[in-house]
Formats: sequence, structure tokens, C-alpha cells
Amino acid sequence: MTSFTAAVYQNEYLADGSTDVHAIVTVECTGSGQAGQSGAGAAELVLIDTSGSMGQQGVRAAQDAANAALDQVVEGTWFAVIAGSHTAGLVYPVDVREGAMARMTPRAREEARYAIAGLRPDGGTAMGTWLELAARVATSVPGVTQRHAILLTDGKNQHESPQDLDVRLASAVGVFQCDCRGVGADWEVGELRRIASALMGTVDLIPRPDQMAAEFASLMRAAMSRGVAAADLRVWAPQGAQVLFVRQVSPTVEDLTARRREVNPLTGGFPTGSWGDESRDFHVAVRLPAARAVGQEQLAARVQLVLGDRVAAQGLVKALWSDDSERTAQINPEVAHYTGQAELAQVIQEGLAARAAGDDRTATAKLGRAAQLAEQTGNAEATSKLRRVVDIDEPATGKVRLKKQVDKLDEMALDTASTKTTRVRK
Amino acid sequence: MTDTPPAPSELQVAVCAACGTPAAPAARFCEECGAPLTVASDGPPESPSAPDAAPMMSGPTRPARAGGDPQPGGGARRPCTDCGGEIDPDGYCTRCGTKAPLPRDHMVEAPQRWVAAVSDRGLRHHRNEDAAATAADPAGWAALVVCDGVSSSQSSDVASLAAARAARDVLAGGRGTGLAAGSALTALDAARLVAAAAAAAGAVEDVTRAEHGDSPPSCTFVAAVIDGDRLTVGNVGDSRAYWLPDAGEPSVLTVDDSWAAQQIAAGTGRAEAEAGAQAHAITRWLGVDADDQVPTLTHHRLDGAGWLLLCSDGLWNYASEATETGRVVARAEATTRGDPLRMAEDLVRWANEQGGMDNITVALARIGARTHEGDPR
Repeated sequence: MTSFTAAVYQNEYLADGSTDVHAIVTVECTGSGQAGQSGAGAAELVLIDTSGSMGQQGVRAAQDAANAALDQVVEGTWFAVIAGSHTAGLVYPVDVREGAMARMTPRAREEARYAIAGLRPDGGTAMGTWLELAARVATSVPGVTQRHAILLTDGKNQHESPQDLDVRLASAVGVFQCDCRGVGADWEVGELRRIASALMGTVDLIPRPDQMAAEFASLMRAAMSRGVAAADLRVWAPQGAQVLFVRQVSPTVEDLTARRREVNPLTGGFPTGSWGDESRDFHVAVRLPAARAVGQEQLAARVQLVLGDRVAAQGLVKALWSDDSERTAQINPEVAHYTGQAELAQVIQEGLAARAAGDDRTATAKLGRAAQLAEQTGNAEATSKLRRVVDIDEPATGKVRLKKQVDKLDEMALDTASTKTTRVRK
Repeated sequence: MTDTPPAPSELQVAVCAACGTPAAPAARFCEECGAPLTVASDGPPESPSAPDAAPMMSGPTRPARAGGDPQPGGGARRPCTDCGGEIDPDGYCTRCGTKAPLPRDHMVEAPQRWVAAVSDRGLRHHRNEDAAATAADPAGWAALVVCDGVSSSQSSDVASLAAARAARDVLAGGRGTGLAAGSALTALDAARLVAAAAAAAGAVEDVTRAEHGDSPPSCTFVAAVIDGDRLTVGNVGDSRAYWLPDAGEPSVLTVDDSWAAQQIAAGTGRAEAEAGAQAHAITRWLGVDADDQVPTLTHHRLDGAGWLLLCSDGLWNYASEATETGRVVARAEATTRGDPLRMAEDLVRWANEQGGMDNITVALARIGARTHEGDPR
């Protein structure tokens, strides 16, 4: 039996005259079961890059990875395999008379393996076309509501304008979730992050082709363990209040603010995709219409996890005005921690962008601040990745020097990992 | 007298006075909020063996509910007092977010027409940690208790209410005087008040044990027993009793166990002492961390008409001197035609108008003929 819980971490005491309320809401899901329990089952798509740059060896590794992923797909799950270059083609199912997806059976798995084996490197890269085809394929079976894809590329999106990518990407938003992986050092982190973020998936780097199969198997295993097809985070704020932002802050930083869908004038719904047995933290910030008198209390937000229209969990964010400065001056440790982690992600990305643009001064300042934040918030992974890009002289003050020689892969690893957060040290 | 009021264990509980949740029969603690359930919300059933002298022993406690919803948790939703919006079951307005008042925020009781108490959150505190408990018969016997919870602890609101009710139950439960007379009567009154304070301290201890917070709850204690013309008063801490006669000088019947009182005893003026930074530091209280919980007792003979007032510092902060208190009470008496319940409400309203900096609790008993014409109400 799936169940959700919500816990709120905040300092509810506001100083006289204050109106801004911050809270971390931890939502935990247990007993989610296997993917495909709801509707007409789950759908899994594997999108692999077969452009010329992949080469024989790269395509062979991608074939292994696709097979490793399909090995993890539970029988009965709808699936399809798409090969992408400057155009996109459906690799499996070959016979599309019954729709563009097949149900996984031992035989279907063998057939897919055979079809994948026939792929050869050729052509350029236009990922929008892959996504567009995937969206069409994914919606080909009515009633399938839980749809997920893995996308693999090795290069930049050179054969499609950014505008075309945007239009085609938009056709996939809300249709399927997509975990994006880039292999090698010739792809662009920002580009793939934009796709992954729009499609509520993750982005990561696979340094060498021979590491792809393990990563694909692990991604598919995780997808198969998400028994909750879709859930929304709903945020109610009082009349006249302004929701400053709604941000997922763990396991990764993802700003959800712009994804608001109006439920009613006071309530917005923010899609959070599918859920397995996991815990996610959200940072909600609300500006109340007016400060009330000391001693008054009001609700600043109702934060709910909603399945369809059913409220599965609720947390209350409160505001109590007080003249006790010992109470009002404290910053809640969870709020402080995740505020720091969100800034960490931002300064790493800005620092790397400045470095790429040759603006060493900005890069040094931003990455210095990153080193400081990583130290303060106990993010050891970020610190170790930063050390490969900068020499950290004083972590406490953020004094760093840019390294003269930096491995491109190290820089990309720092970039892709920038949004991963650590939890609060209790 | 040989009346046999119901023992506390026989009292029925209908709803939890702290949160309004209906309580299971014989439950000792509220399933919803964990508050102790010790007293009937609609008064104990009339004792069938009660003699003529005291046919209507009662100790009702009716939490006042905004919007008058008689069935908490059921029936129509209450409107928001701020914007008229709908209150969600989570206790907050669905439109403006205002917190709906809790039953515990404003509690009222009037066991007889001559005795009443009101306990209110005030304006500046986030909850009501004061409590009152009263019992009375129509013939001139009454017990009044006021406790003021110390706000540094998690469950002082639960502790103060449990303490006040436990003390009231002891006072109401052990009434008979047998053949005692003269000094033996005084000794009996004294023993009863000491036992009541001990029961209150015991109730605080029970709440402390049920909790596992790091700061144990504690509260003040002031209680009075009126039996005909005999009045016995006991206190621990800085909640007070005043005697405000219709004719003659008003007086404070208690001496605060407080830093300010120590200063006054040492010669500092009252106004100066009570304005000091530590003025509200109390030197004695009820709680597991208290050394001395025995009430300081005084005995009085009521030889004229007047008002007995018990109150927390939420009221006396705005009228500390007895003459000033007397003026404020007289004004309330005049505007409410001497009805104790309306007077208590009026005094609470007045304290809120002065700033409502603390919880406000007022318990009143009318002694002797009324100064105002007609029946109260």
C-alpha cells in the first residue's frame, strides 16, 4: 500500500513587520511497488545516438547499453527503441501495425536485441527529432500514463536550430519523463540539462563508452521501481500572498516555480513526475500580504502531495508574529542548508560558464563562493569535484585559483553534479 | 453539613476542554491532543443523595467556541472570524489563513449565578497557558482556583488546566466540616487548601511524566474557598486574590512569590518594583523542579457584601494596587449590572484593550446582596 508523509521544517516565528516565510517540506513515499500498476501499465523508451561521431565502437557500446536496459524492463511493460541522428527512426517494434510500442515478453526482448544489432553509425545530431518521435510513440497506446525514456548522446545538437529543439522538446513535455546521459566529452551539459529539466529527468556524464551498459541498467532498474505514476505538489497560499518560489532541493535542485498549473486562484499544482520509495525535499517561500500584530498566527501555506485529486499528504507552513527576538532571529537549519545548496548549484554553473567565456575574474569569484558553500554545507562531493577545477587555498573564505590545465571531463562532471544536494547533517 | 458531592472519578467527560475532541468513556487523556480529561464538560450529574442544603453542586467548564459550533469535528464548518471564509478541518481559514480560535484560547465557566471565571489567550501570546476551575453551590459555598502556566515549557497549557481542576476537585470533594467549629474549622480549611495545592502539583507532575520535553511544565496557584462567612486563600507564585468590598477599602489577600514582591518587602515602591526587568520572575511555583509547593495561607471573615477576585498577572499588570483593581471591577460591575460571568468577560476585554500582553484569567464570586437592582442576566 503506497503511502506518503509530509514533514515541515521552518522557523514559524516572524519578527514584527516581517512577511516572508520559508519552509522545507520533506515528502516521503513508501510502499510504492512496481512501475505500471496504474492505468494500462508503464511505457519505457530507449533513445540512443547513432550519429557518425559515435563510430563503430561507440555504437557497439550503445547497443550493449540498450540491451542492458531492456533486460531490466519488467514483462508486460510497453517499450520501444529509437535510434537518433539528424533524424529519428523507430528500431523496435519493427512491425508497427499494432501501434508503435510492444509489450515486453522474452520473445520481444530477443527481437529487440536483433533489431538493435543492426544499427550502424551515420549522420548528425538533432535531438529534437528524437524527442518528437518518442512523444508520438509514447502516446500510441491509450491508457498508458506512466511513460519514461532514457536518452543517450555523444555530441552537441548541431543539426537543428535551438528554436527547432525548443518546439520539438515542447511536444514531449508532460508526455514522458527523460533521463539524459552524455558519453565522452563532446556534448554540452547545458543543452542536455535543459532537456532533462523540461522532461523531469536527470542529467549525467558517462566518461567512457564501456560504462554505458551499467548506467543504463541502473537507470532502468530505478524506473521500474517507481510505482507511483505521477504526483503533484500543491501549494496553497492565502489570498493576497505571493508564492516567491517552489523549489525541489533534494535529491537535486530543480526550480518548479514556472511549472505552476492553477488549481484554483489560491492553489497551484507543480508536477513532480513518478515516485518510487524515496524522500524528496521542497523549499517553499511565501510572501504574506501583510504582517499581523505580534501574537497573531496565520497559515502561510498548505503544501500537499496529490495523486490525481486525492491528497496523500499535507504539511502546514505557519507564521506566528513574535517580539521575542531569540525566537525570530533563528534561521531554520534545513532552510539555511538548502538555501546554501541551491546557491552552490547556481555559482558552479555560473563560474564554469564564465570560465568558458574567458572571464577568469568572474569564474574565480563564483567558484570561490562555491568552494565556500560546499565547505559550509558539508557537500564533500562538490568539494572534491571543485578541487579538480580550482586550487582551494582557503575553503572558509572561498579563496581559490583557477587551475591552468583542466580535464574537460572533470569540468563536465562538476557541472552535471552541481544540482545534486546533500541532506542536512542532523 | 453532610452533603456528598460526586467524587472526581465519577465525573463524566464529554469533550476534551483543551482541543474539543469528544472523549471516549472512562478515558483519562484526550486521544487527539493528550490533555488529561478530569472533569465533566457539562457538569457532573446531580447527586441523587444530595441533601437540601446543596442540591446543585456543579463544576462546569464550557469551552467557548467561535461560531457556536456545538459539535467539534462534525457538522457545518465555522466561518473565519477575520474574513468570513471557511475554516478547513486543519484549523485555518481556507481563504486568508487566519488561525481559528481554539476552545482552549477562551474558556468560560459559571457553576452558579454568583460565581464565574473566564480565561483568555490575550493578544500577544500564542496560546492560553492560564486556567481557572470553579465549583459552587447556591447556598454560599464556593471554590475558585486560578493557575498561570510558565511559558518556557512545551505543555504549560495542559499542566495549568490539569492543576486548576485537580485542586478544584479536591476542594469540592472534601467538603463536610463535621462537628468542627472555631479554630478546628480554620485548621480544616487550611488542610484542605494544602491538599488542593498538592493535588495541583501532582497533576503538573503527571503531565510532566506524560511529556518528554526538556523543560518541565510549571504554573502558579491561587485558590480560595468560601464557606458562608469564612474565606480561606492560598497561593504559590504571583497569581492573586483581591477582596473588593462594596463599602470599605479594597485589599490584596495574597503576597506574590516574586522578585518584585521581595523588592517591595525590602522597601521599594510597588510601581517601581513591578516595572523592573525581573518583575515577573517568580520565586515559587508548582512543578517537578520546585522545592517548595506549599501554599501561603490566609484566613478571613467576610463581614460585608463585595467581590472576591482571583486573577493572573494578565489582569493585575494593568491594575495592581487594590484601590485601582477595585475601581476597574466597580466599572465592570456597573456596565454588566453585576452579573459575574459578564463582569469576568468585561474585565478580560478591558485587559485586552490595555494591550493583552499576557494570558488573562479572572475568577469572581459575589458575596452578599447585590448592589445593582434586579436579577443578573
